Amino acid sequence: MRNIWVVFAKESIDNLRDRRSLFLALIYPVIGALLLGLLVSFVGGMFRGQSDSALFLHVAGADEAPELMAHLTLEGVAIRPAPVNPQRAVRTGLADAVLVVPNGHADEFADQRPAPLNMVVNATRLSTVIKVSRVVEILRNFSRDVGQKRLRDHGINPDVASPLEIRSINVGRSRNLAGFFLNMLPPFIIFTIFVGGVYLAIDTTSGERERGSLEPLLANPVARWQFMLGKALATFLFTLTAVVVQLLAFKIMFEVIAAGEYGIKLNPDISAFISVALICLPLIGFAVALQIIVATVSRSYKETQTYLGLLPLLPSLPGMILVFVPIKAQIWMMMIPTFGQILLIGRLMRQEPPIWMHIAVSVTATSLVTAILLYGAAYLYNRDRMIFGG
Amino acid sequence: MIEVQGLRKSFSNVEVLRGVDFTARDGEITGLIGPNGAGKTTTLRMLYTVLRPDSGRALVDEHDASIERLEVQRRIGVLPDNRGLYPRLTAREHVRYFGRLHGLGGAELEARIGRLIERLGMEEFADRRSKGFSKGQTLKVALARALVHEPANVILDEPTNGLDIASSRAVRDLIREIRDQGRCVLFSSHIMGEVEALCDRIVVISDGLIVANGEPEELRQATGKGDLEEVFLATITQAELADLGGGRA
Repeated sequence: MRNIWVVFAKESIDNLRDRRSLFLALIYPVIGALLLGLLVSFVGGMFRGQSDSALFLHVAGADEAPELMAHLTLEGVAIRPAPVNPQRAVRTGLADAVLVVPNGHADEFADQRPAPLNMVVNATRLSTVIKVSRVVEILRNFSRDVGQKRLRDHGINPDVASPLEIRSINVGRSRNLAGFFLNMLPPFIIFTIFVGGVYLAIDTTSGERERGSLEPLLANPVARWQFMLGKALATFLFTLTAVVVQLLAFKIMFEVIAAGEYGIKLNPDISAFISVALICLPLIGFAVALQIIVATVSRSYKETQTYLGLLPLLPSLPGMILVFVPIKAQIWMMMIPTFGQILLIGRLMRQEPPIWMHIAVSVTATSLVTAILLYGAAYLYNRDRMIFGG
Repeated sequence: MIEVQGLRKSFSNVEVLRGVDFTARDGEITGLIGPNGAGKTTTLRMLYTVLRPDSGRALVDEHDASIERLEVQRRIGVLPDNRGLYPRLTAREHVRYFGRLHGLGGAELEARIGRLIERLGMEEFADRRSKGFSKGQTLKVALARALVHEPANVILDEPTNGLDIASSRAVRDLIREIRDQGRCVLFSSHIMGEVEALCDRIVVISDGLIVANGEPEELRQATGKGDLEEVFLATITQAELADLGGGRA
């Protein structure tokens, strides 16, 4: 025990003096929260601005449709003159949309034939989607109202022209957008778990070999597995620090977002964050063991860096997919390290009641795999090749 | 006491050691000398437990280095071929780390560190981080951490390699001092003058075989040469001739 502690203490102090290790443990994890904050303020601001603010619409040929213009104005739409080339103006983003009333519209309208209207829009510009859909809805309402009036003029009940009345019942919670942001947390956290201590894993194994300090170190009367475990624990400590820093940053970011006027009230309470940290403990062990194995079998510092740089992408991939395609958690999924945790973190962040069986399976399975990996790492540490590479 | 018996080792089908035997006694300085690539470092690595022999035994105080690794490690102080330092630790912290790994601690350990720093003339850089240390400073730190637990057997791989004259002399004085305390010193070198000045016993290794073994005077008489450098060259040349006769490529 004492030996493991001596190695752990040395590696921790050594790496506390390393700027790269500190950056990954303390600064890097905050970036995720900042990115999320930016995204929320941007998207939230966009939605809010479009649903509340006064609408204006560029119209070409407004003279052709005086009745429609009156209706639009009544609905609070400010009519603006259209740019000279509506299509180019919309394509380049100069105007969000342009309503073009073709010549002859007035005659067709007066003759009670379908009078054409052209909406020039740019579907690739997501920020205009809400505005355009609001305008289109106003136009449809006008069309329907006029149609019903004409039917009544002919003595026909307008209802016969509406065989269906479609009502959509939205059962999704109003925090739909908030849920989307909450789903982005698991991949961020998983990424941090696989990155937070990576420099220690490299420095204490490949780095030690490349510096030529591993050979004298291993001549000391300490079992190889104790060296390995001391180094693994130091890596674990730095990774855990990174995860805690990140969770704190997210918590603070959520407070800021909830206090702001984005209409997004997502703010899981602090106990949810603590639970996330606890559920992630075995996964941190898993990541550390994996990193040490990679660092041990790699031939050089650079090789290790390359492999370990790619490692975080793999486990965070399922999380990124789950942001867009949520799935129902099954018990077998809990047996897969990282995948189970992604689902559990998501559930905790959405403040849904915990499924204890899932948590138990995830913790047990990941701990077991971690133990096997550590055993493998100890075996690798025992080989002569450990010292001289390969 | 260090004993090596029938040591053999191959790396990817190249036989580096072809049956090495010798003994280094307590209270003596034994020099393992030979040209580059003769197998000196490989032999020492097996003694200080970081390599396992294909066959044969490497014994320290009668403990087998590949079986009773910890027992051997407790009895040796090692200056290996690789003597890298941790750039972010100070000289003193290096010695303290190794002392702790040997189970030392507290005031006793600090006192030993203080004595070594004084003995090796490290006061000036003892509390500086090792990044940017000169070769001489690095070697002193490596020696201090190898000796902090006052081992009965000291194994030094080319201890004066790359040192200036003053530092080399300091190291030689230290080696004699360790011998005079009745401890066993085994060191490797390819510098004949150094071996001649220091050794009570010389073991000449060439191409993975021991080609001569004895006190300097014995070797001089056996080869009929007055100068040890000539002795060295003569033994190696004889070995190579014998080798060619044996049909080895």
